[in-house]
Amino acid sequence: MRKDQNLGEYLRSQGVSRRGFLKFCSATASLMALPPSAVAQVAEALAAARRPSVIWLSFQECTGCTESLTRSHSPTVESLIFDAISLDYHHTLQAAAGHGAEAAREAAQEENKGEYILVVDGSIPVDNPAYSTIAGISNLDMLKDSAKDCFAIVSVGTCAAFGGLPGAAPNPTGAVAVSDIITDKPIINVSGCPPIPVVITGVLAHFLTFGTIPELDALGRPTAFFGQNIHDRCYRRPFYERGEFAETFDDEGARKGWCLYKLGCKGPITYNACATVKWNQGMGFPIQAGHGCIACSEPRFWDKGGFYDALSTGDWGTREALLGAAGAGAALGVASAIRARSRKKKAMAEEEA
Amino acid sequence: MENMTLLDFARGPGLQWALWIFCLGVVWRIVGAMYLLGNKDLSKARRTNYIRSGLRAILTRSTPAEAFEEKIRFQHISGYAWHLALFVSVLFFAPHILFFESILGFSWPHLPNTIILFSGAVATALLIALLIRRATHPVQRLISTADDYISIAVVLLPLITGLAAFAHIGLRYETMLALHLLSVELMLIWYPFSKLMHAFMTFPARYQTGTFFGHRGIKA
Amino acid sequence: MSSLDTIPVTTEVATGNVEPLLHEIRHALKRLAGGEQGTTIDLKSLPLAPGEEERIEATLGTGEVRAEVDALGPTLIRETSYPGVWLITHKNADNAVVARFIEVTYIPELLRSQPEDIDAGIDRLESELRT
Repeated sequence: MRKDQNLGEYLRSQGVSRRGFLKFCSATASLMALPPSAVAQVAEALAAARRPSVIWLSFQECTGCTESLTRSHSPTVESLIFDAISLDYHHTLQAAAGHGAEAAREAAQEENKGEYILVVDGSIPVDNPAYSTIAGISNLDMLKDSAKDCFAIVSVGTCAAFGGLPGAAPNPTGAVAVSDIITDKPIINVSGCPPIPVVITGVLAHFLTFGTIPELDALGRPTAFFGQNIHDRCYRRPFYERGEFAETFDDEGARKGWCLYKLGCKGPITYNACATVKWNQGMGFPIQAGHGCIACSEPRFWDKGGFYDALSTGDWGTREALLGAAGAGAALGVASAIRARSRKKKAMAEEEA
Repeated sequence: MENMTLLDFARGPGLQWALWIFCLGVVWRIVGAMYLLGNKDLSKARRTNYIRSGLRAILTRSTPAEAFEEKIRFQHISGYAWHLALFVSVLFFAPHILFFESILGFSWPHLPNTIILFSGAVATALLIALLIRRATHPVQRLISTADDYISIAVVLLPLITGLAAFAHIGLRYETMLALHLLSVELMLIWYPFSKLMHAFMTFPARYQTGTFFGHRGIKA
Repeated sequence: MSSLDTIPVTTEVATGNVEPLLHEIRHALKRLAGGEQGTTIDLKSLPLAPGEEERIEATLGTGEVRAEVDALGPTLIRETSYPGVWLITHKNADNAVVARFIEVTYIPELLRSQPEDIDAGIDRLESELRT
């Protein structure tokens, strides 16, 4: 796609018919969780869309987010979204490395000043910048440099959005989220460990289509995908209401597909689109596979107690501590009784005198 | 800890402190009260079977005296109904049982959510009705102290936040759940130092009164 | 079949979303018959239990029309046994489903020839005749 072409012209030049384009728009609207009535609007916007430049930075991460995204790269419909953006830098996917690649990044930043989208996966170590570097540039410096002239930042994955696994206690590298460092740019958090691939493409499609920031929740996540919690949209919810729970992973209840609350499912406090969008081309999601939700799209999910501890339980401490408190209580009780008795004795003695 | 959410606090340090204070306070009050039993009754014993008198008092004081029955019927029946509804909601809701199990190490069967929802709503409505009665009834008003009102409030809060969290009313679920836990923790902290201690004291106190009556030869 | 089939897992779970969806289709049909606009329902926007999408399909049944559009991968368009209710399955070139819709309309938009494509066709035919 040439820079001076809009998407409509580009697709026609590729031999894509209007029918094909309408199909693309239907799928894109569905991807963005827009109602089907919005397809016409999407078609109009997409036909006139210009190709945005995307710079993708990977910091302290496991590449799971990129893996997830490339899984969504099923040919034709979604690849059109990727054809339609100009992915100018992604050091995991690109062949080039080193200073040449960095020069390309800087050139793309310069050329698209104020217009490019910065995608970040991974957290940023701030205790010691040397913990993670690319071409000798620390993550912190690279983020600041690339964020300076961007239009908006998309933090892909829980690490970039909230610190994630590197930020889990005791956080040895001093890992922080993008939003802890950059405060003067719009940031869209696409959390998840990894995020649902079509949610990543859905957010990019939103930029491509409308060129705006989607509506965000209090944690900076697009409400189209993170507006409802897993529990509310879970097909196992009726079992919760009836009080039918799997007690172990292989009991009768588990086989009948009963609610996984007792096995530690964090669905009620987790906001994500897993229950509707689902994974692997809509095949299923963790709860459907028989495992509770681990709240991977929520901040500090690694430190929220055991994945298999029921949500209603808490860290109540130790039995010893409770016994200690009881012992202290007993001592106080004895002390106050002795005091009361000595006061009484004194009063009686005074009366007698 | 940095970035700790309200829910994290409620499930962690908040819960720990509340339980410590609860244990300390309850044992303190009970031990202190037990020492009072050491006061010798210097009068001559009229009857010797104190145990029978004690047990009798537990029973007789569980129903109102005949002469008052009609006047306090509402209070009598709704008082029992409220306690029953409370126990059903607190002790037989599956998530609550998991909470108790994590501390006690054993569990028991739960009831379906519809029953819990019903008993929770009944308990809340009754407690509000009893609170209104307390505030408007001339005699009850006269004998009520700040302790009564605060105690009702700290019990009412977990009920309301619990129902709201359950029904997904008001704030987001995780916030409501945190408020529910925090309100329970507030109750646990207030508990030992208030009339809520009646849960531990009622029956022993009645027994003690019974034995005292037995000693003095009072028939009541 | 594979040994997976011997694992006794029940998938007969109901979300209670199937009935309301069928009612929504009924209302949409009435609106359409009453001269109002058609309705499109995105099947991905609903939480459905395993097997429920199949149940919806089975309930709607198969009608008289079946069509396949070959644009950016196959799109299967099928009228259900209820005239005016169409099931549309968009697939990509790899035959993976990318979106599914239930359209309540006289004829799905995708089946109509599009003015832009007709214009392009005229150009092509004219240049064909010139040579």
